[in-house]
Amino acid sequence: MNAFVQILVDALSLGGLYALTALGIGLIFSVMRLANFAHAELVTCAAYALFALSAHPLVMAFAGSVVLAVLLAVMTERLAFRPLRAADPTTMMIASFTVSMLIQKLLIFSLGSRPKSLDPAPVLSQAVYIGPAQVSLLKLVTIAVCAVLLIALTLFLKRTSFGLQMRAAAENFTMARLTGVRANAVIVVAFALSGVLAAVVALLFAAQSGFVQPRLGVPLMITAFVATVIGGMGSLPGAVIGGLLVGVVTTLLQTFLPQDLRPFREAFLFALVILALLVRPNGLFPARGLKERI
Amino acid sequence: MTVLLDVDRLSVSYGRIAALRDVSLQVNAGEIVAIVGPNGAGKSTLLASIAGIVRPTAGTARFRGETITGQALERTVRRGIALVPEGRHVFASLTVLENLRLGATIRTDRARVADEIAAYMELFPILAERRHAPAGTLSGGEQQMLVIARGMLSDPALLMLDEPSLGLAPRITDQVYALIETVRARGVTVLVVEQNADRALRAANRTYVLNAGLVRLSGASADLRDHAEFEAAYFGIAAAGGQA
Repeated sequence: MNAFVQILVDALSLGGLYALTALGIGLIFSVMRLANFAHAELVTCAAYALFALSAHPLVMAFAGSVVLAVLLAVMTERLAFRPLRAADPTTMMIASFTVSMLIQKLLIFSLGSRPKSLDPAPVLSQAVYIGPAQVSLLKLVTIAVCAVLLIALTLFLKRTSFGLQMRAAAENFTMARLTGVRANAVIVVAFALSGVLAAVVALLFAAQSGFVQPRLGVPLMITAFVATVIGGMGSLPGAVIGGLLVGVVTTLLQTFLPQDLRPFREAFLFALVILALLVRPNGLFPARGLKERI
Repeated sequence: MTVLLDVDRLSVSYGRIAALRDVSLQVNAGEIVAIVGPNGAGKSTLLASIAGIVRPTAGTARFRGETITGQALERTVRRGIALVPEGRHVFASLTVLENLRLGATIRTDRARVADEIAAYMELFPILAERRHAPAGTLSGGEQQMLVIARGMLSDPALLMLDEPSLGLAPRITDQVYALIETVRARGVTVLVVEQNADRALRAANRTYVLNAGLVRLSGASADLRDHAEFEAAYFGIAAAGGQA
């Protein structure tokens, strides 16, 4: 029972982080068919902002990192992706690699590649008890924050008129524009939201790992990207479920693989991903209208 | 009569293939104008280039005297042009009600929009019944009604319909054309593209016959119905450029 609670908390907190990251990637993909690899650097830069502002109260540091991530997201759209909007999806994907690399190298160049220790929320690094089971408060908070954000984003998309416009644009961008939905507004808001999500992920992830370095966001982004593929590219519920699923499977592998094999848990994870895609090539929840572009 | 839409020697090419060649047509305020022609005649391309989806290689389209070719897509509906594209294009994953609300994206008079949505639901009870169902679950005919209602909710001056009867049973097609007549009765000008020439000639004041990217024949629908060259123009046997 204790073990079960601990595994559940581990799985949901890891899955929640993957789900938020996958959602940030999925939002952009759903409206402009761009696989944004630079999402990793949004997370990394937000974490560096926390580091830079670590002398200030957490609320201020976090606010600063949100502002930075949103500005960075909107700027990459304006400078790198908007000029390529009519281009081939492959071109845009390569552009996102370029942006990702550029920011990574700039970080290494200006701040060095050595990890800097960072503990944005020391108050969370204590254990609490759920019945007899000992779990980390940070992981519980992570789960709660992910749940709240998912609900907030769902309400935004389902209950507001701008959310409706975004869903319409995700399904058929041309037709949405013909009903009057402004392409630029939808895309900028999608990038801004992905920046907010990246900043939240940066805070939770940095609190777990305890340091920040120029490639902080990369493994997170790659796993989350895989999660969006499993969920079905372009489907937001798919991204969330894919993220949670990857978190759960990773945790289960970590727990139940023989000790010698645990270092290779990613290999097992990706083998399962390949199997899943062989059965469902378009993911578990394929999005509609994937062919339509701007 | 005032000219609402004036298409002047419009040409569109896809790569080296010419889809439209020097097409000119006028739509006057208050009319129903039909464009008929076989598959691949360029009818949909014509509507797409008026709406701004396709960029013409030459020529212009003017709406209320202003050039509209080459404009951003979201400008089209703000100028007063609503397009009901071929193949319905409901937002399949959005609900029926959300599709209707989306039609009124550019409007700020919420109370009147709500009244109009209620009116369409009264006119087509199925839309009320299925208001919270994904629009993709409606039948083809129901989707067509929904898309026309969605287009009308932008309060347009010109409603352009692309093959509204495609794939529909004759009885449903009657309903669609009854709705188009209602639309016109409200003072909205209609430009409709049809493969079903007979149906179009009955509905429209004036008709253009388009074939292989050229206007082959045009005139009052009543005259064209018995016109000796109509079938030849439609099927592409006539010499290019024949005018009635």
